[in-house]
This record gives sequence, structure tokens and C-alpha cells, in this order.
Amino acid sequence: MDWKCQIESIGVKIPGTRVTTPELMGKFKTPCIKKFGLLTGISERKICSSGEDSFSLATDAAMNCLSHSRYRAEELDMIINCSITKYKNGLSHLYEPSFSTLIRNNIGARKAITFDISNACAGMLTGVYIAEKFIRQGVIKTCMIVSGEYISNLCDHAINNITTSLSSEISSLTLGDCGAAAIIERTADKRKGLIISGFTTLSKYSDLCTGRQNRNSPGGKMKTRAKKIHQAAISESVPIVKEALNKCCLSFNEIKWLIPHQTSRSSIIAGANHYLNYFGEKPGQIVITLKDTGNTASTTHFFALHRYLNERRFSEDDNVMLLCFASGLIIGVVIFKMNEIVYRYGSTN
Amino acid sequence: MVSVAQPRLGFHHVNSIRLSARAAGQCLDYAGIDPCDIGLLINTGIYRYRNTGEPAIAALIQETIGVNRTTAKDTDNHKNTFSFDLNNCGCGLLTALEIVEGSVRSGEIDYGMVVTGDAEPFHRLSNEFTFNSAAAAIILAGSGTSNGFSMFRTYSYPEYCEELVSSTFYGNEGWNRKGRNILNVMQKASYSDVCVDCAVKSLFKFLDESGKTLDEIDLIIPSQSPLGFTDKLKKRVGMNGNLIEIKKTGNMVFHTAGPAFALKKVWDDNRFRNSKNVLFLTTGAGINVSLALYQN
Repeated sequence: MDWKCQIESIGVKIPGTRVTTPELMGKFKTPCIKKFGLLTGISERKICSSGEDSFSLATDAAMNCLSHSRYRAEELDMIINCSITKYKNGLSHLYEPSFSTLIRNNIGARKAITFDISNACAGMLTGVYIAEKFIRQGVIKTCMIVSGEYISNLCDHAINNITTSLSSEISSLTLGDCGAAAIIERTADKRKGLIISGFTTLSKYSDLCTGRQNRNSPGGKMKTRAKKIHQAAISESVPIVKEALNKCCLSFNEIKWLIPHQTSRSSIIAGANHYLNYFGEKPGQIVITLKDTGNTASTTHFFALHRYLNERRFSEDDNVMLLCFASGLIIGVVIFKMNEIVYRYGSTN
Repeated sequence: MVSVAQPRLGFHHVNSIRLSARAAGQCLDYAGIDPCDIGLLINTGIYRYRNTGEPAIAALIQETIGVNRTTAKDTDNHKNTFSFDLNNCGCGLLTALEIVEGSVRSGEIDYGMVVTGDAEPFHRLSNEFTFNSAAAAIILAGSGTSNGFSMFRTYSYPEYCEELVSSTFYGNEGWNRKGRNILNVMQKASYSDVCVDCAVKSLFKFLDESGKTLDEIDLIIPSQSPLGFTDKLKKRVGMNGNLIEIKKTGNMVFHTAGPAFALKKVWDDNRFRNSKNVLFLTTGAGINVSLALYQN
């Protein structure tokens, strides 16, 4: 039997230290960027303080997710860590054992199979793609996908290297830290199952955004040709989104919530306008959660879902589209109908 | 189809991405299939050129071998490739094969490729890095029969989590290492013994679950690391000629590509095709042991 899967619970961990955009701009020795907050829509981001790192964010998010879940840790069949950064004990990047193995040991998920994946900002949605395969084939019933992104250190590197507003490291200033986790479970209700569609890597654009560990200083650095990657993502994603909508027999205006990858407000709005021109219709609401947290890499979609669930914005049966763009260039679409998860979050909880 | 690659010259710094792409390209050539038919590409190498974090190494391999670099907007039946990296230490290859096998079996894709390759990320900026620069690629296609992979299992032994830990640290000592990120591979002396214990336990659990006996297994294709693992495993399991080993060079071992190198050996001498039941057995830090049964 081909099973379907659905999102059972979501957890996040936001670090406590906040850095406002004016504070960040104040760190430049020579002011060279104007209207950064206005263009990106980011007024502050949360960053890790001493004792926090990718591992602590991921573990705390996993615990938060379990606190909202009907499942206990020992009932999880699989844990997939999806973060780009794997910092443990500060800025020490862990290669072996896998991050997910350590998370499993920390949360007590004794029987879970574990492995890590890495797919830039599309990491968590790639995790959903893999979890869906294992669940559909009947190999597992539950899977936790988890990510802890400690990427604010890229911002520190950028501050020391940006000298003009044309610098390739400008995008690093949008980054903030965050941990997110979600449990994907098997369901027999085909109506509410996740539709995974269009996961594609367009490697022609793989050099437009690159990130790697520094050789000479702790942490990493990222270089982006922001305008080019934005243009490529928007134009190349149109047929992929169209195919995904056809697959679930929906029109674009039947999508109540569109959650794109959170890069900057201006690029999200430009993308939405491009879609409007192409499809001639638009989704109910485009979710933008950048203001307080910035771009949190692979965790953005689940952070946005968690926030809107807590604010009780979703209703049962709302159609939600998660749209990922990530360096590679990766484009992917996940469409689903909101389920009873909407009753487990928010003020009454 | 399986292909392997090692550096052509041994004295210069090796780019793991180029090495992996070479293995992937050769594999496509041997298989004789259109590269655009590869629907899924997974890279399972751990130690990558200059510790590249993004994009995924799989995307860079895809670009180098020229597989579906962009969408073909002018045709309705355009083909796409999805690629990503997977890290499950020494067991990554089998985990990725399980994902690809599921996608091929369900008819979602015609062909899937698993590529794996390791090389020292920065030349001479590592401690105890005893892994050969090596890469391998495997292409899976639908068999249309009951032949092929029939069962995958992973067993975990979290009590041995700290037997092998590798991570970077910011160096403060030495004239050439001060102010550098150094890769440190810490492997306990007991690691290979523990790996063998876990592998043997897992092997018999797997055989129980699959309803097979050890006598029915014609070939075992194991991990080639840690050092001494295959020798000790042979002694414990007793399948001398049929447990495949790759010739070692000093203390250096084949890491994630090890099982693929062993597979290549038996692929070339036709033992793989002529064996009815082939068992893949991999171990990795954690400790995790993954096994898969392949039937001809």
C-alpha cells in the first residue's frame, strides 16, 4: 500500500540575543550600505550567545517539537538532520558521527534510524521529500526532520569584508540563527497528505551562491550574486509551480498561504508579482516572517509555519504551499491541507 | 553500474569534487545511458574540498558532468535531476542506495546515481586524517524482475558514540597552523574491535530477519575502514575468500567509497553477477551498521 504523510507537529528554538539592523550597520567602519532595513524588511535578527550553537538549537527545537506532539521520542522511527552548519561546542564543525545521531542520543529516541542531509536552504524540505519516500513505501511511520542553523558568524565575516554596497557578501547581513524541527507521520487520509513536487536542481546556477568554512578564522563565509540568483529562481520556478498545482488539481488562488524561502521582502514581493503576471491569479496570502528573525536558512519554512500556528492564523483545510529556493539552484514545492495541528498551537495551549 | 576513481598523481592536493565527478562521469560512460536520464543524484562523501557548505556537493558534481543543468522550457517532457548530500558516515552509501532504490522501484525515476568521495579538505590542515583520496559512483536502474536489492536495515549502537569523532578546531599552535581551522579525526584504539562486534551482532540479526543463513550468502561486500576491520571480520565470520578486501597502502584506508571499491573488484571479475545472494555490510561512527541484501 502507498501511504500518505502529514505534518504532525512543529517546534522551534530562537536564540535570545537580538541584533537590530541599525546596530549591525553601526559595526561598519565606513558606512557603505543605505536603506538595508527598508529593502530587506529585516529590522532585527536573533543570534547565538555563548553556549549556543547549531547542535543546541537543533536539540532544543526537537524537544519543543516533541512537547507539541502525540509521539514520545522513543516512538520516532527516523531522525534526519538537515542543517547546513553543524557547529558543536562553539564554532567547531562536526563531521563524524552524524549530527542526527547525537540529537537522537540527546532526546532519547532509541530506535530511530539517523542520518544527515545537506542541501543548502532547501535542507528541511529535502528532509520532507526523503521522509515522504520512506513513509510512502511503508519503511517507517514517523520521522523527525530537524535543523539548527548557527549562521550569524557569516555576518561577522561579511562586516569585516564589505567595502561597497555591491559586495558579494551583502546577503550574509540578512542571516539570523534558528532551530526548527517537525515530525512527519503516516496517515491514511489521502486528502490531507503532503504533495511533494518539482524538487529540481538546476546546477547551471550552482556558482551563484557559495558558502564554505573559513581557512583562517573560525566560522564560515558566503558569497552570493543576489540579483542573478533571484532572477533565475523566479523565472525557472514558474513551470515547476504550475506542474505542482496541476498535480493536486488546484489553481493558484486556491492556495490560501504561500510560504516562500525568506530572503528579503523586496525579492519576495518581486517574485509574487512575476507569478501574478504569469498565472493571472495570486494566492490568498504570502507569508513574510523576516522582520524579527531575518533569513534563517533551512529553517525558514517551519519557523513561519510555527509562528502562524501559534498566532492561530491557519484554519483546518487551508491549502498551504511551501516553496523553496536554495543555492544549487534548488527549487521545490510542498503543498498540503492544514490538519488538526491548528488546534494544538496558540493561546489556548 | 559501478565506477571508482583515485587521484592520477599522488603528491598534490586533491579536489574531492573533481574526483567524485570523474567517477560519476566514468560510471555514466560504462552504463551507456543518457546522463539526462539520471533523476536523482546523491553524494555521500564526508570530507569535501575546502569544507564547502553550500551548494550541496551533489549539485557541483551534477554541474561538472552536465546532467540536466537547467529546465528545458521548449519541450513538455523535459527531464529534471534532483541532487543533495547525505552524511551517514561509513553507512552513507547504503542509506543513499536505499533512497535511490525506492525511487526507482516506485517508477518515479528511471535511473539514480550515488556518488561518494573523500579527500583532505585543506592540504596539511588535519590531524590523523588516514583516509585515501578516493571516489566512487553507482548507478541503479530498475531490473523489472525480483533481482536486485531486496532488504535494507540499519542497527545503532549509541553507547559507542564517541569511538570516532571528527571535527574542526581553530588552531593556535605551530608556525604553519596558527590561526587555521584544523580538521581533527579522533579515533579510539578500540574502534575497529567495537566496529567488528557491532557488525557481527547486526549481521546475525539481519540474517534472522531475512530468513537466510550465513551459508546462503555468497559474497559479503564490507566497509574498508577502520584499519583492520575486514581482517577481524573475516576471522569472526569465517568467509575468507568471499568477504571482499581492497589492498591497503600503509595506514591509509578507503572511507565512504570503500564498499564501492570492493563492489568494483567483484563487478570486474564477474563474481558479483555469478553470486546469488550478495550482502553489503557497512559500519560508521555512531556506531551505525547498515546492511543490504542483493539477489541475482
